[in-house]
Amino acid sequence: MSHIVLRNISRRFGANWALKQVNLEVREGEFFSLLGPSGCGKTTLLNIIAGFLEPTTGEVHIGGRDITGLPPYRRDIGMVFQNYALFPHLNVFENIAYGLKIRKMKKADIAARVEQCLAAVRLEGFAERMPHQLSGGQQQRVAIARALATEPKVLLLDEPLSNLDAKLRKEMQTELRSLQRRVGITTILVTHDQEEALSLSDRIGILGDGELKQVGTPLEIYRRPANRFVAEFIGQVNLIEAQALPGADRPPGTLAFAARGHFVASGEPLRLYAAEHPSLAGRESVLFMLRPERIRLSPAPLGGAAGGVELRIESVVYAGSAVRIAGVLPGGGELVALAADPSFPVLPEPGAVMYASWEPGDLIPIE
Amino acid sequence: MADRTNLKETGAAVRRRRRFDGWTLLAWIAGGAVYLFLVVPVLVIILSAFSPNPYPEFPPTEFSLRWFREVFQSEPWMRAIGFSLWLMVIVTVLTVVLGTTAAYGISRLEFRGKQALLSFMLSPLMIPQVVMGIALLYIFTAMGIIRTMAGLVIGHIIVSFPYVIRTVGVSLSNLDPKLERASMNLGAGPVQTFFRITLPLIRPGIVAGGVFSAVTSFGEVSISLFVVSPSNMTVPVRIFNYIDQTFDPSVNAISVIFIAVAVLALIIIERTIGLTKVM
Amino acid sequence: MARTSRTPGAESAGKYRRNLFSWVMLTPGLIFLGVFLAVPFLLLFVISFRDVDNWMNMLPTYSLNQYIEVFTSRFYLHMIWTTLWVAVVTTVICIVLAYPAAYLLVRAPNRAVRTALYVILVSPLLTSVVIRTFAWIVLLAQNGLVNEVLMKLALISEPLRLLWNLNAVIIAYVQVMLPFAVLPIATSMGEIDPRLRQASMSLGAGRLRTFWKVTLPLTIPGMMSGAIIVFSLAAGSYITPLLVGGRLQPLLPLAIYQQVLQVANLPLGAAMSITLLLLVGVLVAGMGLILRRWEGRLHG
Repeated sequence: MSHIVLRNISRRFGANWALKQVNLEVREGEFFSLLGPSGCGKTTLLNIIAGFLEPTTGEVHIGGRDITGLPPYRRDIGMVFQNYALFPHLNVFENIAYGLKIRKMKKADIAARVEQCLAAVRLEGFAERMPHQLSGGQQQRVAIARALATEPKVLLLDEPLSNLDAKLRKEMQTELRSLQRRVGITTILVTHDQEEALSLSDRIGILGDGELKQVGTPLEIYRRPANRFVAEFIGQVNLIEAQALPGADRPPGTLAFAARGHFVASGEPLRLYAAEHPSLAGRESVLFMLRPERIRLSPAPLGGAAGGVELRIESVVYAGSAVRIAGVLPGGGELVALAADPSFPVLPEPGAVMYASWEPGDLIPIE
Repeated sequence: MADRTNLKETGAAVRRRRRFDGWTLLAWIAGGAVYLFLVVPVLVIILSAFSPNPYPEFPPTEFSLRWFREVFQSEPWMRAIGFSLWLMVIVTVLTVVLGTTAAYGISRLEFRGKQALLSFMLSPLMIPQVVMGIALLYIFTAMGIIRTMAGLVIGHIIVSFPYVIRTVGVSLSNLDPKLERASMNLGAGPVQTFFRITLPLIRPGIVAGGVFSAVTSFGEVSISLFVVSPSNMTVPVRIFNYIDQTFDPSVNAISVIFIAVAVLALIIIERTIGLTKVM
Repeated sequence: MARTSRTPGAESAGKYRRNLFSWVMLTPGLIFLGVFLAVPFLLLFVISFRDVDNWMNMLPTYSLNQYIEVFTSRFYLHMIWTTLWVAVVTTVICIVLAYPAAYLLVRAPNRAVRTALYVILVSPLLTSVVIRTFAWIVLLAQNGLVNEVLMKLALISEPLRLLWNLNAVIIAYVQVMLPFAVLPIATSMGEIDPRLRQASMSLGAGRLRTFWKVTLPLTIPGMMSGAIIVFSLAAGSYITPLLVGGRLQPLLPLAIYQQVLQVANLPLGAAMSITLLLLVGVLVAGMGLILRRWEGRLHG
């Protein structure tokens, strides 16, 4: 009933297009994240859905109804703001009751409903507090309770967790997700925090320069980025441009390529074997993505076709659970690897030589 | 990216931005009317000043500088203008010195009753002007300086003083306290620090305070009426006597001069400290 | 580096020098205000208890006679009532008109418009009150502009008597004092997080209801500080009422002016002044209390 459809949404500010031809469908009950760098247009898109901004072109549909021309107060959308936007002159009870009073609900019903909402966000007994007497996390919960009190069709979250410290943010993420599951409300989260988007969402839409670059599940987005923008924006990545070598020797089930910027020796390009894939058929030149955590490093070359590429270590960054190691190939070109902490009894030193290897399936063609 | 197929619809889907809704429109009309109400009297004065007729007419028919000529040829008006300007200069200099030092002193001290003292220094803004006038009348009579220039200067300083306290106070609170500490750390004493660091940095506030003092003194009438001498009248007192007794259209021309001074003052304040900060 | 040594003695000596300097800076201003602001009011207070003979000469005796006259005569009580009434009406009208004006100022579409509105608001404050009042005489006189225009439009056949009554006083007051109400309200309005209005609308409140439930309560600080200034000015001015209302209006400041400069009954004038000062002081303090209470509720 409450699925959201955006059709050809564009928005211009002066001479700049903040959004260009955005088409998107968010399913009923789905937790959908809009993820992108700052200035990508994600907040603009959220404001258009909420009705605070009018799209220059395009339509917004909720539950099958065109609401493009409706003012925000007729849209029945709950919203949680980045700074929570609690009314400072009203106490917690009055904040949550605000939308209910406007709907002319009976006093007793309002009290019951507020009580129920406070319980849902685990803030029983806080009804009489003023917003300035609450901690950031508590204000956050009140804001969520206030947005859900009127049982809106859709919940919009505008970077709701960015003002919280790291530990509290993790807790609130879990809580937010389980609350959303229980209520079953269609939810759109705007965030620039990719970890948050990956861990919370059913699906993610990546926005860049006002365009929707990819829509997919967290797994699809991370493992199969549709383009260079998404690959570079999500996680860390090695990007390798390569040229097809149609006649070359290769392990079965793979295709052979010669890298353009990576050389195993002066003038000798790195040879790549990628798993056969329909998108590779008949292509001359391909951009491959190789996630750093897919690269294995070993002190001695491994046998077999995948072999191992000699890598002179340039930098080693120890980050607790993982180690980030950057190195250069003998003929030029850089590779970054990410290894789990236990993989090295002793951390490699810069200047040491190691051998990098990966599976053909780890090379993901992009575009 | 399922529905890229809809791209061609965009031309038809172009939508104009939402028009003003009723309440917003009403607010703009009401606001516009209020500004009109504020500005009409000023326009009327300007209009009358450039009309050759003794009584204003609307719409204006002729343009003339007759009333300006009359003002500049009138010995009593010119004497009053000269006296007012002279008074303004003295008052401005004294108020700026007294106000700046006091604002600095109070901003750098912490003691009980500081807030009360600050309210006391700002109180001339709130005290009914008539009460202020007679209080000064009594004390000046007792001191024997009633109807002298000194009395007038003192009265004007008292009403201008709060403006300097406020503008300089704003500048001082915007000043990074680390700068003064750094200066003292480098070996400068409080006096040197004040003249070498603080004073140059709060100059915008001082200038704005001086402008406020100047226009306040130039336009002051409520207190002046009680303490002024009939032989040495300021321009506003003279205008008051004129309006009260007869109707002289050259007052229109004088008023235009006052309005011009006000606009000039506005520009200086905006350039130095910014209007929004002091008002 | 000897000068910056961090021994406690040196530090407190430095602090002492700084404090001494600050007190030296503060003293001239304090002495000036003490002599010419505090002493005059003490003197005024003392004089208000003196008696006068039939020729208005001050007698060396002290009594409450002047206050008794002020608070028992029907004439003066009516005058006090009218003074407060005019001040309250002026304040209410100023506040009501200030909201749309402040709204325009805050929502001005660009810098040029905002600057123009600022100039309209602030330039009257920098122009002498005589001149601002004079404009209303030009407008409202028998042969003034308003009558002329109305007659030309044939809406009236003979000039209306617009001057010399309390309505004229209130109209002129409102125009003269409106900026004092608009500026603090606009400041309050500009400080409201626009997301609060958005939150209200997302919860189903239309623009009007959002104004009543969010914007208005959050601009109470600006409203109260505007009201305090307008009220104290409107209760204490005598120039404007004298010029557009005439000498006979039952307003306390006018009566004080006349008692002192024309009747020369100094003690009665002083007693009326103290009465006016206390009335304004008590009401202003009350409004200040509301202001602080509300700010305490908002920010703790």
